[in-house]
Amino acid sequence: MNLRHVERSTWIYLAFALVLFIVPFLVTGRSMQFIIIQIFIFGIFAMSYDLLLGYTGIISFGHVMFFGIGAYSTGIIMDRMEPTIPNMLLSVLVAFIIAGIVSFIVGILTLRLKSHFYAMLTLALAGLFLVAAEKWRDVTGGYDGFTFRVPDILRESQNLYFLSLVSLVLIFFGLRRLTKSPFGRVLMSIRENEQRTESLGYKVLHYKVIASVVSGVIASFAGVLYIISIRFVNTDVFATDLTIDVLLMTIIGGVGTLIGPIIGAGLIEFAHHWLSSLSDVHWIFERWIILYGTVYILVVIFFPLGIVGTIRAKFLGSSAKKGLKDNQKSEAI
Amino acid sequence: MDLIFSLLINGLATGMLIFLLAAGLTLIFGLMSVLNFAHGGLFIWGAYTGVWFYQMTNSFFLGIIVAIITGLLIGYVTERIIVRPVYGNHIQQILITLGFMLVLQELIKVVFGPQQIAVFPPEWLSGSFLVGDVVLIKYRLFIIAVGILVFAICMFILKKTRIGLIVRAGVINKEMVQSLGINIRLVFMLVFMVGAALAALSGILHAPYSGNLYAEMGLEFSILAFIVVVIGGMGSFTGSLLAALLVGLAQAFMAYYFPALSLAVNMLLMTIVLVFRPQGLFRVKG
Amino acid sequence: MNSLLNLNQVAANIGQYHILHDISFEVPSGGVTVLLGRNGAGKTTTLRTIMGLNPASKGSITFKNEEISRLKPHIIANRGIGYVPEDQGIFGDLTVGENIRVAMKKEDEGTTKRMEWVLELFPDLKKFWKKPGGQLSGGQKQMLAIARAYVNENELLLIDEPSKGLAPIIVEKVMDSINQMKEKTTILLVEQNFMMASKIGDQFYIIDDGQTIHNGQMEELKEDKVLMKKYLGIS
Repeated sequence: MNLRHVERSTWIYLAFALVLFIVPFLVTGRSMQFIIIQIFIFGIFAMSYDLLLGYTGIISFGHVMFFGIGAYSTGIIMDRMEPTIPNMLLSVLVAFIIAGIVSFIVGILTLRLKSHFYAMLTLALAGLFLVAAEKWRDVTGGYDGFTFRVPDILRESQNLYFLSLVSLVLIFFGLRRLTKSPFGRVLMSIRENEQRTESLGYKVLHYKVIASVVSGVIASFAGVLYIISIRFVNTDVFATDLTIDVLLMTIIGGVGTLIGPIIGAGLIEFAHHWLSSLSDVHWIFERWIILYGTVYILVVIFFPLGIVGTIRAKFLGSSAKKGLKDNQKSEAI
Repeated sequence: MDLIFSLLINGLATGMLIFLLAAGLTLIFGLMSVLNFAHGGLFIWGAYTGVWFYQMTNSFFLGIIVAIITGLLIGYVTERIIVRPVYGNHIQQILITLGFMLVLQELIKVVFGPQQIAVFPPEWLSGSFLVGDVVLIKYRLFIIAVGILVFAICMFILKKTRIGLIVRAGVINKEMVQSLGINIRLVFMLVFMVGAALAALSGILHAPYSGNLYAEMGLEFSILAFIVVVIGGMGSFTGSLLAALLVGLAQAFMAYYFPALSLAVNMLLMTIVLVFRPQGLFRVKG
Repeated sequence: MNSLLNLNQVAANIGQYHILHDISFEVPSGGVTVLLGRNGAGKTTTLRTIMGLNPASKGSITFKNEEISRLKPHIIANRGIGYVPEDQGIFGDLTVGENIRVAMKKEDEGTTKRMEWVLELFPDLKKFWKKPGGQLSGGQKQMLAIARAYVNENELLLIDEPSKGLAPIIVEKVMDSINQMKEKTTILLVEQNFMMASKIGDQFYIIDDGQTIHNGQMEELKEDKVLMKKYLGIS
């Protein structure tokens, strides 16, 4: 590859990534490292969501099901088998296969529906996974869940840090490549105008299903990393709250930007941490979701482009994305 | 025999509660193509404010009135502040109403505390009748009666009054209604508020039925209401009643015979309807 | 100015597409003004823009010397404009009677009289009073749509292609009724069927590519073969 053809922004992102590689040598506190690891993991989860919402214009309210599939695959395999690296890789493979199959079937069945039906159906489907995990106690342990051991090397906070960071960087550049490819252009054209894309001869459903499978598999990987980082799994990994968290991250950070969701993940994880610690000061801070919800509503109404999108629109003008634009004909009322 | 009968009553009562929730949802969608994900928030707010007043004054009737007023007020606020800025943009609507649902749910915990609240039916509605061998629980019959009453009143308004006529016309073709000189936004706000009041009514009625109250109930019930709206056909009022009873009965019987599958059955029903008949079983004709 | 409706350099978009560029015309009080032009020239959009359903992005629209281009559709309708859309906009689940009742804002003597008159004009509507609008034939739907626009005290009716999709004999009937109606109200008609337009129209405007490019009296147009061929594709 000729280095001269690499975009300037790529160098900037790479420089950032390098800085992040030095961080664990400077920040040695385990709890701080843990927060940053969470940011990386949720950054991955939010990017996978951005591929759907930001690039293809699909709203899923059930994205957490793939996260949960990843979490349970690894949790159960680590628990039932020896916590070795090969077994862990096996669990990642299992997570990918299940998430791939589920997202494929869900996609085939539902992606031809209009946006609100799809949102509703995915919300209900994720609810179904949650109920299944609660009822199938023999395997999942229900709400009480279970703890398990992970390969020793990953018990070391720094190693986990590097694993998450490398995953984040690779997935970021992978998705960036994907969204700038002809395939990504078709996805964006679906977001802008589904009917026109269809009439240009693209099988819109195929593209949507592929996007949702890619997104589902990446989300399941985020679930795997998450569960390794906390070494405990219960039904919370299927909770709607997580879908909402990832929605907030993506929208506040900026839809359709990939970097935005990572920034959003950072903001929300830090805010979460600080606000929860403030609950000693006043109990209202336990209810930090209200603050999030309010900020989120304001962002949807006033800054539909999110942080990154708004900055880009302001300083770069031309490359302004359309944000949460509706691809259906809006009605004059 | 009496087992089946009691499951039947159970199912009808649950169905009526879901119907009250779905009725507003379906008309709101039919009129403005707004799918209100915050509808469940109105349900829990109705339940909590109603129960709070009921337990304070010991009058269930007053509790119901308070719940309805809460529904009307929050409905008004929701329409003005949350839904109105994003008309015509489905993606924003879906995102914003879900966000508001979240805020409503958390606010419940701030105002009423996060713990579950135990609720019992008032004295005049507790206990049961014995007809032959069959035990009829009074409160369930009460819910069914209220459901029938609300349905009858709504049908009367829809069929016999001018505003009802306008609502039915608006569901079919809102542009034409505007072209006939009717302010559809005003009509919509009214429907939104009434729908919210029905959701709140459903909430307060549900509280003594399930025996306890917790904030997450809203989202759970919303999902059932969505299923009903899809099966019944978006925008169809009668369809939502029939679908609600269907879902309620399926829920009751499955909960008894195959408890693990009760939610799955309704989901399956919705998936089948969406895949093979996305316009729902009872379609509104254009 | 004694024109009832006046459009001045009106432009309008649908989504990102500019449909109307420069529409200017006058509709005098009384009589039938016809908008002619090829498919896709912008005739339907012009009517929708007048109604406020597809708001104008530029220019001015005045009705009875008052600016209406920034008003909401229902306010425009209440100023006294009735609208019969291209697809007739019948409420399919509602009965014929209900379709008309939705439109009736008042139940006073004037409205009742107008309704009686229009039902005499279209006896079919009376016959099928309790039938759902969706089950009517195409011609009956057209009559219902016209009747509905007429029952209110409207000074101007916008009628979009009433002959579309109808059998010639039905077209004849609809045309007759519009002819009778023009004694009572002003009509702005969009029509592709030139035979029909020429029989009931008094004056015309030709719209091409979102612009009004020609106007005159209907009588003159019938003689002007060049114009007809060029813009209407009729020879």
